[in-house]
Amino acid sequence: MAIIAIAYLIFLVAPMLLLALGSFGESWSGTLLPTGFTWRWYQELATDPSFRRAFVTSLQVVATTCILNLLIGLPLAYAIQAGARGGVRVAARIVTLLPVAAPELVLAFGFILVFSSDALPWLGSFWLLAAGHLVLTLPYTVTALVADMEQLGLDHYEHAAATLGAPFTARLRDVTLPLLRPSLLSAMLTVAALSIGEFQLSNLISGFLSRTYPVVLLQAFYGATGFACAATVVLLLLAAVASLTSGLAAQFAGSLLSRRAT
Amino acid sequence: MTLQYDNVSYTYSGGTAGVFDVSLEIGRGELLAIIGASGSGKSTLLKLLAGFVKPDRGRILIDGHDVGHLAPEARRLGVVFQNYALFPHMRLWENVAYPLKVRGISRDERRSRAVEMLGRVGMHSRADDLPAALSGGQQQRVALARALVFEPQGLLLDEPLSALDAGLRMEMRDEILRVQRQSGIATLLVTHDQEEALSIADKVVMMRDGRLVQIGTPRDLYETPADASVAAFVGQSNLWPGEVSGDGMVSTDIGTLSCDTAGWAPGAKVTVLVRPERVEPITGGVDTAKPGEFAGTMAADRYLGPVRRLDLAVAGGFIRLETHLREPLTGASIPPGAIRLLPPT
Repeated sequence: MAIIAIAYLIFLVAPMLLLALGSFGESWSGTLLPTGFTWRWYQELATDPSFRRAFVTSLQVVATTCILNLLIGLPLAYAIQAGARGGVRVAARIVTLLPVAAPELVLAFGFILVFSSDALPWLGSFWLLAAGHLVLTLPYTVTALVADMEQLGLDHYEHAAATLGAPFTARLRDVTLPLLRPSLLSAMLTVAALSIGEFQLSNLISGFLSRTYPVVLLQAFYGATGFACAATVVLLLLAAVASLTSGLAAQFAGSLLSRRAT
Repeated sequence: MTLQYDNVSYTYSGGTAGVFDVSLEIGRGELLAIIGASGSGKSTLLKLLAGFVKPDRGRILIDGHDVGHLAPEARRLGVVFQNYALFPHMRLWENVAYPLKVRGISRDERRSRAVEMLGRVGMHSRADDLPAALSGGQQQRVALARALVFEPQGLLLDEPLSALDAGLRMEMRDEILRVQRQSGIATLLVTHDQEEALSIADKVVMMRDGRLVQIGTPRDLYETPADASVAAFVGQSNLWPGEVSGDGMVSTDIGTLSCDTAGWAPGAKVTVLVRPERVEPITGGVDTAKPGEFAGTMAADRYLGPVRRLDLAVAGGFIRLETHLREPLTGASIPPGAIRLLPPT
C-alpha cells in the first residue's frame, strides 16, 4: 500500500518538479535535465502582453464563475432539496448532471453554432465564456450541495427554526447558510480548480481578447522549452491562487454570516 | 391556552395514509399523549398542529383561533424533536436564545433569559458549550428549554425520549413532567412507548389507521380498553375469543369462565380480556372442577426482577400471568372480577 502511494506521488509530482526545474534552465534539449540557470523565461512571460491579458482574464472568469455558481447553484440545490419529491427529484438531479455527461467539445460546438448567428452574436465575448464555465461547473456545485444538505438533515434544522418563530429569511441567514459553509467552501474550491484549468471549451469559444490562460499557454509550446515550462508553472500558481482566494472568500462570507447569527 | 383539532382530515399525496375525522382538545396545563403503532397517524397529528402540513378538511385551533392557514413560525408552539435538532453552530445559550433573537429581543436580555431557562433544566453551567459536547439527555434538556423560553401557546413533543437509554428515559420523563407542570402549558406528546404515555399523561389517545380508537385517562385505557387492539397495545394482556354461553358465563378455548356479562346477549361473540397481574397463581393442588381454575405447566418463565411473567400451558391455550412468587406453579385461577368482555376482533 505504501509503495503504491509513494509511486503514485512520484508519478504526480515528478512532472511538476521537472517543469519547475525546466523553467529556470537556460537550455534543455536532448538531455535528461536542463543546463544553466536563468530568470529570462519568467521575465519574457511577464512582459508578454497576451500572457498578461490571459492571466487577468482567467482570474476574472474564475471569479465570475464562482459568484454565478453561488447565486444560481445554491438556490437551485435548495429548491431540489426542499421542494422536489419522488420523480421530480430524480429528474432534477439527472438534468443538473447532464453537462458532465456531454463532452465539452459537443457543448463548445453547440455554443459556436448558436452564438455565431446574427440573432445572438456573442461568440468571443467575456460573458459567453463565463457562461460556458458556469455550465461546466454548476453540476458539481449543485450535486455537492444537495448531497450535503441531505446528509446534514437540513430540513430538520429548518423545521426547528420555523417552530421557534424564524421566517424564511431568518432561517436562511441563521441556520441554512452557516450550516452549509463548509460545503460552499469545498464547492468553490472545486469550481475554481475546474475553471482555471478548463481548455477545450475556452479554446473554441473565447475571442482573441478574452482568451484564458490555458488557451494562450498552448502557444508557448511552439517556442522555447524554458518559456513553456515557466508559463506552465505560472498556471499552477494561478490555480493555487484561485483556489485559495475562492476558498477564503467563501470562508469569509460564511463567518460574516455566522457572526451576524449570534 | 387550548389546542384543538376540529374534525381534521389529511391524506398524504399518492397514498391512503393520513388522519381522518380527528377531533381532540388539549386543555390548559394538560398533557395529552398520542400512542399508536408506526403508521397510525400520530406523527401526522403533530405535524398538522405544528404547521408542517396543512389539513385537507377541518380546523386546527389554538386558544379558539383557527390557525390552519398559518405557517409554523406564526403559530407560537414549542416543539421538541426526536433528534433534538439543536443548531450545531450555536452555543447552548444561543440555541435557547434563538427564538428570542428572531423576536427582536436585545442580546443582553436574551442571554439572561436563555441562561435562566437553561437553569430550569439544570444546564446553566454549560451555557457556552456547543451542542456536540453534550450527551443525548443533556441535548434533550436544552431542546426543552429552547422550546419553552419564548412562552409558547403549546408544547409539542415528538418521541422525545426514544433516542435515550432506558435509565435516562425514566429520569427525563420526570423532568419533562416537572417542567411542563411548572409552565402550565398545554402539551401534546407523541410516543410509541405506551408506558411513557401512561406514566406522565393526563389523557391518552390511542390511534390506529389514522383514526382515534379511544381517548381517556391512562387508567381508562388500561382497565377499560375500547377493544382488543387497545388492550394489546397498552400493557400485557390475555385475549381469548369467546362466546357468551349464558348469564354470567363465557366459553373460550381454554374453558368456561364466569364473569359479569351485563350488556351482552347469550350467544354473542366477544373477546375476553384478562390482565396478567390479575390472574392468581396456584402452587399446590388444582381443583379444575371450580370455574376459573386451570391446571397447567410452565411454557415460559421470564424473570423481570420484582415479578415473573409466565405463560402457563393449559388445555386449549395459554394463560399469561405475573407473580412475585418464586416457586414453580401448577395452575392458575382467573377470578370473575378480573375478566372484561370486549367486542370480537
